[in-house]
Amino acid sequence: MLWFVPVLLLLLTVTLYPTVFVIWMSFQKTRYYELKGFVGLENFVDTLSSRAFWETSYTSLVYMAGSLVLSLGLGVLAALVLNNLTRGGAMLRVLTLLPWTLSMAVVGTIWLWLFNPSYGPISYSMREVGLSPGLMLGDPELALWLTVLVTSWWSFPYAMVIVTAAIQSIPRELYEAVSIDGGSWRAKLRYVTWPHLIPTLGSTALTLGILYLTLITLLIVLTGGGPLGATTTLSFEVFRGTVQAVNIGPTAVYSIAILLANIALGVLYMRVTGRVTA
Amino acid sequence: MRADTRRARSRATLFILAALVVGSALGPMLWAISTSLKNEVNAVSAIPSLIPSPATLSNYLSVFSHKTFGIELLNSILYAAGAVAIALAVGIPAGYVASRYTFPGKRSIMLIILATSMVPGVALLVPTFYLLDHLGLLNNRFVLLVILASRIAPQTVWFMQNFIDAVPVEIDEAAHMDGASRWQILTRLVLPLIRPGIAAVAVIGAITTWNDYITVAVFAPDTAKRTLQVALVNQVFDAVGISWSFTMAFALIASLPVILMFLLVQKWFIAGLTAGAVKG
Repeated sequence: MLWFVPVLLLLLTVTLYPTVFVIWMSFQKTRYYELKGFVGLENFVDTLSSRAFWETSYTSLVYMAGSLVLSLGLGVLAALVLNNLTRGGAMLRVLTLLPWTLSMAVVGTIWLWLFNPSYGPISYSMREVGLSPGLMLGDPELALWLTVLVTSWWSFPYAMVIVTAAIQSIPRELYEAVSIDGGSWRAKLRYVTWPHLIPTLGSTALTLGILYLTLITLLIVLTGGGPLGATTTLSFEVFRGTVQAVNIGPTAVYSIAILLANIALGVLYMRVTGRVTA
Repeated sequence: MRADTRRARSRATLFILAALVVGSALGPMLWAISTSLKNEVNAVSAIPSLIPSPATLSNYLSVFSHKTFGIELLNSILYAAGAVAIALAVGIPAGYVASRYTFPGKRSIMLIILATSMVPGVALLVPTFYLLDHLGLLNNRFVLLVILASRIAPQTVWFMQNFIDAVPVEIDEAAHMDGASRWQILTRLVLPLIRPGIAAVAVIGAITTWNDYITVAVFAPDTAKRTLQVALVNQVFDAVGISWSFTMAFALIASLPVILMFLLVQKWFIAGLTAGAVKG
């Protein structure tokens, strides 16, 4: 159909062609930004047998899992609390959603300043109560967890909005039935709210999981992948490999790993929801 | 009596929790605003305080009078508006056909659109950089616009399809009987009816594009081609020369259009986030 031609032309040239090309690149011997000829699976063998690849994958997993637990937890808490307010809940939700509209560059900059070891309010408060703030984002033990914290601050409002919609779609009669049977708010939460939330939490976890897997900018601003590679995820490694351009063959392999993980999560999302990703 | 105290106590707990939720979301932003209103010396005082004294607007004036601010602002606006315009131009006709017609191959076309939506931008960094570099197309504004548009094109098609689905097909049929062409039906009848939907899609696409850092930073790093987001991150890279009060003012100015757009269309924004996300 003719009216599909423009959008297909756009997506084929700008998205699909480079996708095919990155696969082609991964089979090439590379030096800087030159392709030097077909080498078969050499890049894959080299990359997959390197420690760095698995360490980076592990960091990605920890980062994704940590951010998911925190943002979903805070999201559910915020949704329940604001939804139970008799007045002002909707307005407070709009205010709480503000961090989600900010760019990763802005979020990273604000938190870099909050975490500043010399002049930031967080290290100051820690010193006041007798704790040693140390290097904050400069501490290899701490950097990944602080990054998880910032990621969750930015994205828990998204979870809150989705969970709120799920809570509001639960029929009132179910709560009334629990009340008639003499059940407490705890019973309502456990037997009515919670079972209704599970599928929504699953799909939200997948959406956010894809976001965390492919996120780069926040890491560039907060840590630059450091200290000592403590926050180098798969996606950050692709960014580093692209701009440093010492040898782009392995970078292509990392890109394909992310692509496959993204597709797996996307397909799972469709299975769970019967819908396409937003 | 005891029931009353218990109720009062649970109400108090609820208010405290609500204050904590909203406070934790807004607190960091308030700190940024506070710093932006301090002078450079107070911003790095040994005892940080939330209330700036003396408060000054000098950082904001410095941002507005900074020599590259104008071009960065212009680029941010140009890219956001251009990407949305391209995405709508290709997305509206596709969404209309997707909603109104069935034909052999339609399923495959929709599958291609779906597949491209599952390719993350990060997986395209290295091949796109390679291709643009070899074609001499790095730092090219038009190329950048097309890339940014491709990121929001799939969602634009689906949203349009959904909005047009809600317009009764009888309207099309009646107009067709009266001799209207398909193009006339779309532009004169259907589009005016889905104007709020188009506005929502445009705003969401504009926010996404405005907030992008990585695409612009990698494919158009030139000073004259960069956006406010890229300029902001470059300030952070200069760990020694950075003035935090200036940078906070810069970050807030760079966020203001997004916050305003969000507040303007927050109902649609939230509806867009939750569209079908809840299993019925």
